[in-house]
Amino acid sequence: MFKEYISKFLKLDRRWIFLLLTIVIFVPIIKPLGLPNISIGSNTKRVYDFIEALPEGGFALLSLDYDPSTRPELHPQAIAVIRHCFRKNIRVAIMTFLPGATGLIDEIVEKIPKEYNKKDGIDYVVLPYQPNYVAVMTQLGSDIYGIFRTDTKGRSTKDLPVMKGIKSYKDMSFAMCITGTALLDAWVAYAGDKYKVPMLGGVTAVSQPGYGPYLQKGQLKGLIGGMKGAADYETLLKKLDRGTKGIDSLNLAHFLVLILIITSNIIILITKYL
Amino acid sequence: MKFFKRNLPLVLVFIVGMVTLASYYVPHRASQEVYLDTMNKWVNIIAAFAFLLGLLSLFYSHYHKIKKKADGWGYSLFVYIGFLAMIIPAIVSEGQQLDGPNLTSLGWAFRFIYNTLAATMFSVLAFYIVSTAFRSFRIKSMQAFVLFLAAMVLIMGRVPLGDLLWSKILGWTGMSLADLVEWIMHVPAVAARRGIMIGIAIGAAVISLKIIFGIERQYMGKD
Repeated sequence: MFKEYISKFLKLDRRWIFLLLTIVIFVPIIKPLGLPNISIGSNTKRVYDFIEALPEGGFALLSLDYDPSTRPELHPQAIAVIRHCFRKNIRVAIMTFLPGATGLIDEIVEKIPKEYNKKDGIDYVVLPYQPNYVAVMTQLGSDIYGIFRTDTKGRSTKDLPVMKGIKSYKDMSFAMCITGTALLDAWVAYAGDKYKVPMLGGVTAVSQPGYGPYLQKGQLKGLIGGMKGAADYETLLKKLDRGTKGIDSLNLAHFLVLILIITSNIIILITKYL
Repeated sequence: MKFFKRNLPLVLVFIVGMVTLASYYVPHRASQEVYLDTMNKWVNIIAAFAFLLGLLSLFYSHYHKIKKKADGWGYSLFVYIGFLAMIIPAIVSEGQQLDGPNLTSLGWAFRFIYNTLAATMFSVLAFYIVSTAFRSFRIKSMQAFVLFLAAMVLIMGRVPLGDLLWSKILGWTGMSLADLVEWIMHVPAVAARRGIMIGIAIGAAVISLKIIFGIERQYMGKD
């Protein structure tokens, strides 16, 4: 009787699970739990330490290769890193290989530079979308102006104060790719390994374990992984934002998955052996 | 015709493949800058044509679906609706998404159509993952149990609540959850990943050489 009763749980209509997940995600958004972020990931700290150690006036090339589908994880990472660069007075060039990223980049430059009183063309520049990453990554090794003649506003990049003294990777402090695709692998191979530009990365949580070999060999100087990585970076930066706000929902959703898996397996054990 | 259809492409691929390969190892300016600059421009031009070809092919296939009233032909209409919803604002606002502090029509379409639709599509995945995890993750063997343990530790290590619970329940062991996650990520995960990467790299090198030497010819549209 008891076995029949609990085995019904295994045939639970999936819409109940959907409803449960909805509640688990929405409740912390409405009423944040405010759990402390105790442990900072070592790879995220490496990114922070690397940028923190750079001298003022450096130049960062950020390739923001994500679209709205991975926005919750990657957008907070990009914002945190750009804030860090601006705080350190590092010049920033933003580019992308994904057409879907262009609007997200505009959202960033609409808001973040104002916080630090940074000016377009002087402190940062947004480079236009390019379709072919291999061509662009290799071209940046010899002459950036060969491929990015103008910025998104049609101004000659060569004449912009932000680009002063910058011709190729060797003039840059670092390059960073924040992506939900495999573009970071290409950056490591075509830019980091070949032209020896220090590479940093930001990826989704699900693809983070795949970059261990690059981190161990120093091909990546650091890596921010998922929303937790973004929250860690915000904690290090002492500027809590979307990454930290989203972590509560992530907390409960992760635990819901674990509880469901454990419960279903316990029920199977009971129905089989008791 | 055989010369243009078969021999010429093979010769072109061989010459360009060998020269590009050699350019990687020749540090001379002609190799590192002049040749690569020219090739990169060519590649970008070809990519632009590939975009156009892809678009025409997409329209052609969906046009036939609508014409034949194939299953789900109504969805094919949305290919055209979606295209027009983005391309018309893009033309009107000359490709700019911001006009000073204001959104252009393209900026609006991106933020309130594309942004929301793409995010919704991806978010739906989370619901299916949770439902599937509940229905399908059965610990029936020792391997499945080890996989579950590793997954559990990684999932807990990804969120502050996991840290908190670990320190309350297993704090007495002296091992922190972060240390355990680091070990999993840096030892077994890296070992497996490195093996996969070496395999992929060798495979890619072999396929590239086969293409350069004309052994692999599928890119010409036939075996």
